[in-house]
Amino acid sequence: MTGAPVTLLAATLVFAACLALAVVLVLTKVGRETRRRRRAALVAPLRPHLIAVSAGEDEGPARSTLVAAEGPSRRAVTGAIADLLGKVRGLPAEHLVEVLDRHGALESAMADLRHSSPVRRAQAAQLLGVSRVPDAVDSLVVALQDKAGEVRSSAAYALGLIGDPRAAAPLLAAVGAPGAGLPAGLAADALLGMGVGISGALGDALSDPDPRTRTVAAHVCGIGSFTRALPCLRERLALDPDLTVRETCAQALGSIGRADDVEVLARHTEASQPLPLRRVCAEALGQLGEDAAVSTLAALLRGPDPRLAEIAATSLVRLGPCGRAALDAASDERPVQSALTVASLQGVLR
Amino acid sequence: MRELLEPLRGVVVWLMDVTAVPVLAYFVLINTSYLVLILLGALDFRSYLRGRKTVVDTLGGELTPGVSVIVPAHNEEAGIVTSVKALLSLRYPGHEVVVVDDGSTDATFARLREAFDLVELPRDVPQDIPVRARVLGQYVPRDGRTRLIVVRKENSGRSEASNVGVNAATEPLVAMIDADSILEPDALLRVAKPFADDPTRVIATGGTIRPVNGCRVVAGRIVSVGMPRPWMPRIQVVEYLRAFLVGRTGWSRFGGLILISGAFGLYRRDTFVEAGGLDPDSIGEDFELVLRMHKLMREAKADYRVEFVPEPVSWTEVPSTFKVLRNQRRRWHRGLWETLWQYRGMLFRPRYGKVGLVALPYYWLFELVAPLLELYGIVIVPIALVLDAINVPFALLFLALAYGYAIFVTLAAMTLEEWAFHRHSRWRDLGVGLVCSVLENFGFRQLTVWWRLEGWWASLRGKKQVWGVMTRTGFNEEAS
Repeated sequence: MTGAPVTLLAATLVFAACLALAVVLVLTKVGRETRRRRRAALVAPLRPHLIAVSAGEDEGPARSTLVAAEGPSRRAVTGAIADLLGKVRGLPAEHLVEVLDRHGALESAMADLRHSSPVRRAQAAQLLGVSRVPDAVDSLVVALQDKAGEVRSSAAYALGLIGDPRAAAPLLAAVGAPGAGLPAGLAADALLGMGVGISGALGDALSDPDPRTRTVAAHVCGIGSFTRALPCLRERLALDPDLTVRETCAQALGSIGRADDVEVLARHTEASQPLPLRRVCAEALGQLGEDAAVSTLAALLRGPDPRLAEIAATSLVRLGPCGRAALDAASDERPVQSALTVASLQGVLR
Repeated sequence: MRELLEPLRGVVVWLMDVTAVPVLAYFVLINTSYLVLILLGALDFRSYLRGRKTVVDTLGGELTPGVSVIVPAHNEEAGIVTSVKALLSLRYPGHEVVVVDDGSTDATFARLREAFDLVELPRDVPQDIPVRARVLGQYVPRDGRTRLIVVRKENSGRSEASNVGVNAATEPLVAMIDADSILEPDALLRVAKPFADDPTRVIATGGTIRPVNGCRVVAGRIVSVGMPRPWMPRIQVVEYLRAFLVGRTGWSRFGGLILISGAFGLYRRDTFVEAGGLDPDSIGEDFELVLRMHKLMREAKADYRVEFVPEPVSWTEVPSTFKVLRNQRRRWHRGLWETLWQYRGMLFRPRYGKVGLVALPYYWLFELVAPLLELYGIVIVPIALVLDAINVPFALLFLALAYGYAIFVTLAAMTLEEWAFHRHSRWRDLGVGLVCSVLENFGFRQLTVWWRLEGWWASLRGKKQVWGVMTRTGFNEEAS
């Protein structure tokens, strides 16, 4: 049925492949352990100096020692400083950046943004970001379109640390880029580091065709108090085809809205709207803190959805005496009793 | 004797003539498919490693949505307080824990009430997902700060308990976990990251399940990872690595993930509700839910994603006795069959994309049918050898392609794990893993083949499914 040579060949191949993999497995472990020990050994003599500089307790000698590091030790120090810069602020951070500069690491990082290895490109972007190199902004904006996701993420992170508002528009565009795009959460964090100069870009992004970009823009508008975007947020809440975008706009209006927005949010608590959106809007009305919301919220207390009713009751608690009066009028409703019990346990009611 | 065996030999010769090549081809195909999944997983792990090297800590950022951790509990008095405390102390910017006491007859609720000083709320649980069982009450801690909700209900099973938990949940994401599972401190942050990265499209994510047997647990936290002493759970460590960690990562990379384990999954609450929640009558309720979500989204022509995240780990106790393992494998295969049969209408339908065209056919061919063909091979090859219907080289070829290749696949999965995660730091554990990758194929695999077929057969006969009791030996727990 089957000849011995075929069997022998197959068995030998399978056995050899298994053996080879077992060897690779062992070598993987050995290699990692060796690298870890080597790195630790390289950094160990310089660690006290690194700690002294990053703790702001250096008068100069520690920095000089770090600057004088050569060869593999220098590379190890550069890596250690890049890690530390994510945690250190102020003068110690400037001193650490000075060491990097004297090593030529920042110049190399600018060149490494075009390196063939995505890890090198991402690390370079990181280093430029934590060192807050303003000249790197243009190159980092280009890196937002890198084919490797890690590089795009690192570039966005770096741009957030540098905080140049010119990067806001390309950053928002990168979120909705075809394919995976830039992680929305990372983009939002980066944008919040860019200050008030990004309001124009945020307004434009609220009309972007991609819902991820619109979500990020709406969220940042709410968290960062970008009130210039209020008309756009209202429009998106009413018309956006994506429920997540609408919910985010409602939350943003709850954070930064004006008295006029009571009517806007109230309209979206109506029964014709999706239930998750109604709940978000009821909560946003409480956050907005306008007495004009009382009648809308009071009407929700006797609705068929106990969650929506309890959210409305909690919002009324937040509105103060006006809201409390409305709750007293519906005190027989279980959602009201529940909201009052929770508020009492939380110490909101006295 | 020879005359008696001659007709049998004739049948076996005919069978081998007809099936020998297809059976060999099947084993080559199934092992190759695993290898392809491992390679796809490797691409994902490479991204993970690159991300780790570039040290962008984006966990817990501004867009991280709140999570309600749903913990269905039935007679869990021994560990429920430790579990809940561990869950409450997970690193996460905004999460609540919703324990659903599913009609426990022991002191589960009493332990919770005492530990957290619970007070009853006059609150009705919304019926976002319709449930049959009556809710008896809702409780929260008196301190008003601890984000814990305890819901008591009549006993109606794990799925309904989870649905009640989702109804009671207040956050936009819901995490399904087992009451006796242990999550790593960053597990929620990591499994929720795809939702923050892509807030409009991601509807579900799953995390890795690893066996806790052999690990040292202190106050509901893993403090050291080790291999268990008995061989049965040891083999399952290797098996989970191949099937859960690497296999599901591969499917996720391909864009055809159709199974998120009920022991650790995260879902958008609105989509979970829209899909109708877990089916209380399904034995493979986690698999069924994910398929239903795929169906719903595909039919709505929605742009959506279901992802597997290999790094967040939920540690769970795996069976250490034959009886419990048999029950588990019977249940798993029965659930697989019933769910695949229920969703047979999605097969080969282009409107269901990769799920209908690739993932479901794969599950039919290589997950459902595999034990049947493997049993056939196990039985027919020795008989054929004895009756001289095949020669020794063919039998050896069968061994090499069915088992030798399987060992290779397992080793590939182990190598990948060692490269990317290396959770087992001791050399001894690595050695045990290597031995298990071979041992798995001699006895363990054949037993699970039989048990899986038992589960399938029981379903075909319409026998009532009993969940059975997972007898737990307990973790290597130390008091804090």
